[in-house]
Amino acid sequence: MKKINKIGVLTLVLAMILSVLLSGCSQESKPSTNEQASKPATEEKIKVAFVYVGPVGDFGYTYAQDQGRKYLESQMKNVETTFVENVPETADAERVFTDLAQKGNKIIIGTSYGYMDYMVNVSKKFPDVVFEHCSGYKTTDNLGTYFNRDYQARYLTGMVAGKYTKSNVLGFLAPFGTPEVIRNIDAFTLGAQSINPKVQVKVVWTNSWNDPATEKTAANSLIDAGADVLAMHVDSPTFAQTAQDRGVLAVGHDSDMSKFAPNSILVGDVSNWGPYFVQVVKEVMDKTWKPTQYFGGIKDGGIIDITPFSDKVDKDFQATVNAKKQDIMNGKFDPFSGPIYDQSGTLKVKDGDKAPDDVLLSINWFVKGVSGSIPKS
Amino acid sequence: MIEMRKIIKEFPGILANDQVSFNVNSGEIHALLGENGAGKSTLMSVLTGLYRPDGGDIYIEGKKTEFSSPKDAVNYGIGMVHQHFKLVQPFTVAENVMLSIKDLKQIYNLKEIEQQIIKQSEAFGLSIDPKAKIWQLSVGEQQRVEIIKLLLLGARVLILDEPTAVLTPQEANALYETLLKMVKNGKSVILISHKMNEVLENTDRITVLRDGKSIGTVHTKNTNEKELAKMMVGRNISDVVEKKSHRKNDKVLSLNNVSALGNNGLLKLKNISIDIYDGEILGVAGVDGNGQKELADTVAGLRMVKQGSVSFCGKDCTKSGRKKRIDLGISYVPEDRMTTGLVTDLNAYENMALKSYRKNHGAFIRWDKVRSDTDRLIQKFDVRLASTANPVKMMSGGNIQKLLLAREIDSDPKLIIAVYPMRGLDIGATDYVRRLLIEQSEKGKAVLLISEDLEDLLSMTDRIIVMHGGEIMGVVNPSETSREEIGLMMAGKRKVDLHES
Amino acid sequence: MNLKLLGNWEIKKTNSSSALKKFGISLTSIVLGLIFAGLFVLLTGKDPLKLYSEILQSSVGSAYGLSETLVEMIPLALCSLGVSLAFRMQLWNIGAEGQFYMGAFGATYFALFFSNLPILVMLPLMLVASFICGGLWALIPAIPKAYWNVNETISSLLLNYVAYFWIAYLVYGPWKDPKGNNFPLTKQFPDSATIPVFGNTRISYAIFLLLIIAIAMFFLIKYSKWGYEIRVSGSSRKAADYAGMSYVKNVLKVMFLSGAISGIAGMAEVSGVLHRLQQTISPGYGYTAILIALLARLNPISILLASFLMGGLLVGGFSLQTSGFPSSMVSMFQGSILFFVLAGEIFNNYRLVRKKA
Repeated sequence: MKKINKIGVLTLVLAMILSVLLSGCSQESKPSTNEQASKPATEEKIKVAFVYVGPVGDFGYTYAQDQGRKYLESQMKNVETTFVENVPETADAERVFTDLAQKGNKIIIGTSYGYMDYMVNVSKKFPDVVFEHCSGYKTTDNLGTYFNRDYQARYLTGMVAGKYTKSNVLGFLAPFGTPEVIRNIDAFTLGAQSINPKVQVKVVWTNSWNDPATEKTAANSLIDAGADVLAMHVDSPTFAQTAQDRGVLAVGHDSDMSKFAPNSILVGDVSNWGPYFVQVVKEVMDKTWKPTQYFGGIKDGGIIDITPFSDKVDKDFQATVNAKKQDIMNGKFDPFSGPIYDQSGTLKVKDGDKAPDDVLLSINWFVKGVSGSIPKS
Repeated sequence: MIEMRKIIKEFPGILANDQVSFNVNSGEIHALLGENGAGKSTLMSVLTGLYRPDGGDIYIEGKKTEFSSPKDAVNYGIGMVHQHFKLVQPFTVAENVMLSIKDLKQIYNLKEIEQQIIKQSEAFGLSIDPKAKIWQLSVGEQQRVEIIKLLLLGARVLILDEPTAVLTPQEANALYETLLKMVKNGKSVILISHKMNEVLENTDRITVLRDGKSIGTVHTKNTNEKELAKMMVGRNISDVVEKKSHRKNDKVLSLNNVSALGNNGLLKLKNISIDIYDGEILGVAGVDGNGQKELADTVAGLRMVKQGSVSFCGKDCTKSGRKKRIDLGISYVPEDRMTTGLVTDLNAYENMALKSYRKNHGAFIRWDKVRSDTDRLIQKFDVRLASTANPVKMMSGGNIQKLLLAREIDSDPKLIIAVYPMRGLDIGATDYVRRLLIEQSEKGKAVLLISEDLEDLLSMTDRIIVMHGGEIMGVVNPSETSREEIGLMMAGKRKVDLHES
Repeated sequence: MNLKLLGNWEIKKTNSSSALKKFGISLTSIVLGLIFAGLFVLLTGKDPLKLYSEILQSSVGSAYGLSETLVEMIPLALCSLGVSLAFRMQLWNIGAEGQFYMGAFGATYFALFFSNLPILVMLPLMLVASFICGGLWALIPAIPKAYWNVNETISSLLLNYVAYFWIAYLVYGPWKDPKGNNFPLTKQFPDSATIPVFGNTRISYAIFLLLIIAIAMFFLIKYSKWGYEIRVSGSSRKAADYAGMSYVKNVLKVMFLSGAISGIAGMAEVSGVLHRLQQTISPGYGYTAILIALLARLNPISILLASFLMGGLLVGGFSLQTSGFPSSMVSMFQGSILFFVLAGEIFNNYRLVRKKA
């Protein structure tokens, strides 16, 4: 019995190698016929590839990025896009980037911060390929980063949450203590406090970007703890459905989530990456592309924005929020304007100052009014 | 009524049935007699549809029939009571019977089933309470439930596999009365057995199998024990082994006031004091579960004493564990040879290394030496097996026991503990083991023989200890005692003049 | 037991099947798996031939693909060797994933806090640390198992989460790179804490370690006294007691070594491939390893081959996506092949015969 598998597995491997040889032959003949048949003889298409950490069907973060990809494809006729989903931030990621580069993609976009090292490595191996990394901080000659000022929209949705809470307790589902998440929680809290100074934001960690079961439990526990408006920074809309089931309110994130919980969702932030992707492709085609650390806000073509309000938000208040949005666009207002105190009461941003980008991109403290703690450094 | 013609059944490496022909008439008790591995069970598995024969035919009432599953056989009225009952312990008798009913309605009437059980049990003297839970029943009663199940399924031919192996003599008698009533009612009974005296007393005809072949069918009233034994084994068997005492005066083992706990944490051995001498066979009698196994484990070093001391060849070894005791020269033939004495997933030579593997120096085992030793022992002890490289579980029961004994004796021990060494073995193998143990005592080795067979104890041992409730009721000399005296002590009566070494 | 099949055919159990037959069966299983998966590909309107060639091309058909398959094989095979040792003794160590993380933890400790050591001191030190950490982690479920017979399956599984979140705590907290913009990553390891690689591939010299461990394990199980004790204890605890083997000690030793080998895998991954510790360092190597161990019937040499196969499937899987096949199809493809290979095992033990008329 014990010998069976030695031979069995040996067979497998031999078969694999054998079929490589066979398929090698067929492979060489196949694409050529395929291309001849399917390709209208036009100028060469530029190939753009996307690497996602989650599934495109998450209706959250990855969904929003993939909407951007679709937008790109619809806007530019000579662009051909592909994507790879569910790519873990492990050794596998480097191979996926390499593979995409080898397959002739000219622009490769990685959407998760954990791809950073791998993208740095691969960008060095493929100097002719342009890499764009969402939310990272390392660049190379052909690797740039991009992100949006999500906190601007967060501040606005925070205002709405602060207005409609009766218990003065807001609940926030957070995956991990990355700067991005903390920045959003802070902006949300500041926005809510601007309307309702008594507001308190309770944070629950789910320890995963996408884990609907845990998110449901977390949402319930927040509601049980008195929260009557929920927000989150994970990838799925589960929390909104839970909120609706329990009869409390919610604000969405990353994509318009009102269809999942029309009775609960008041408003939400929405990322709209498409225009940026179009810009990158155009720059690459014009050979004007440079590796930058792009950090676009509401004013930059809606790379970050808020969704339409639900009917529950009264018109006057809608106007108030929209006015604030205008102020942000005009540069008259910044959500991280001082004075801002952290949880311990230490002054972090002085009156009259606003937090600079490098602080926002590496923030690791909660503002006063957040109840919850970040894993300590 | 049923005729099996030239049945062939082959398993990898074994021809289990070699053109066996066999027939049963209605209204008879027909015994299928043979040693372990003779092919009895295989033949009956073919008849009950469990195996499909590789050759030969089955005729029922003169019509050629094929069974593709046990269900088919049941439909033809053939049912079997296996050695291990197939009953659900927490269920009642009626519920168990209900489980076997074909086409049971979604809404069933348990009362009706209970009625039927009572009707059957009255008709055949199978007294049973249909509402009793299985676990509350004795083994004999459970067997009755199995028989009732078959009767209610409409069985006309009942096959019983070693039915009396688990019964007390009284229960066995009751069973045979029941079977007699059934054959009077026109049913047929096939009895798989290797107990000759029972077969001779209770059957109409006997078919003897040996090595997968049918040796012949005889009318019970025309045959005798000697003839049957010869048919079974293929040679003459001397009835009684001559026993002379080889006891010397050197104490091998002594237990002083030993108490030990059982697996359930209760006191299972109470103040046991015994000595065993060189060349002595010390027998231990007792009803199963009265501390015999714990005694064997304690001597072997698998169970630590709670009180008292153990010494071996004059040296205290109370605290030494199993490994130390093996080195001291204590061999152990445990009751459970399939999971304790041997590792049935491993092959023969790997099993032979079970205790000797530590012998050579270094981290590795010298398998070449183990292999040659195994080959030598297999020759010497006449162990029959297809290949030493096959897992031991493919061997027959008798050969497995021989293999185990070969290992235990070959290590040249000073003491051999043998627990039920003949249990489940056929005549030939029993005889062999008996001789082997006596031969060891002749060589000056001490033997602690735990047995349930008083005949064996009386004919083989120098002294017999009788145990009850974890205590020694008395020590008797086989030549000066009687079965009655031992029986009383087994039941808990102390031998009054308890004074021996 | 014989089962009735269509008409005159039936399935029979056999014990002897020739090497040639086994080879044929395995080959057939793969082909059937390919065809079965191919049918589904066809149903979705894609070309299965393209899919086959893609998966093979990308996993073993190019130098890069082959090298990446070997990169995947190292952690898979090491974890699998680890669990296989415990499985030999019927100890269901499902905790390779956690032991892998703890091994990475031990190795990282030295890489971060003793970064000035020369490479020839550093790497052995990291190896020993990962060995001990992985081993101790496996010892946690082993102790209650050995002394009180507490089921190790569940305890070892649950410890995976503990290990995962322990690493999370470290990379979000005390071990976070202070210059890393607060991202949950440790500092990059110094070169002295990095296992060298072959040329410009990602295959680290840890592959030698893998080969040595596999061969050592083969001899350990087959010829050594301790290996023999493990086999006996795995088949029957009673027999082990009977033979005077210490079951308790063996449980502890086997579990320790089992976890230690998975721990080495963790070290090989952080030191040989990732060069830093981060929240997620394994896409489930410790779980896939269980499958591999069972597929290879616990034979160390088969484990190497089966890991290579699984590594190839993983590599080919992601590559399929880059060629435009959905990721779910990749999983289905892998599942289909495994299913048929395992189903094919049946035909090693049974054969189809025509009944004698």
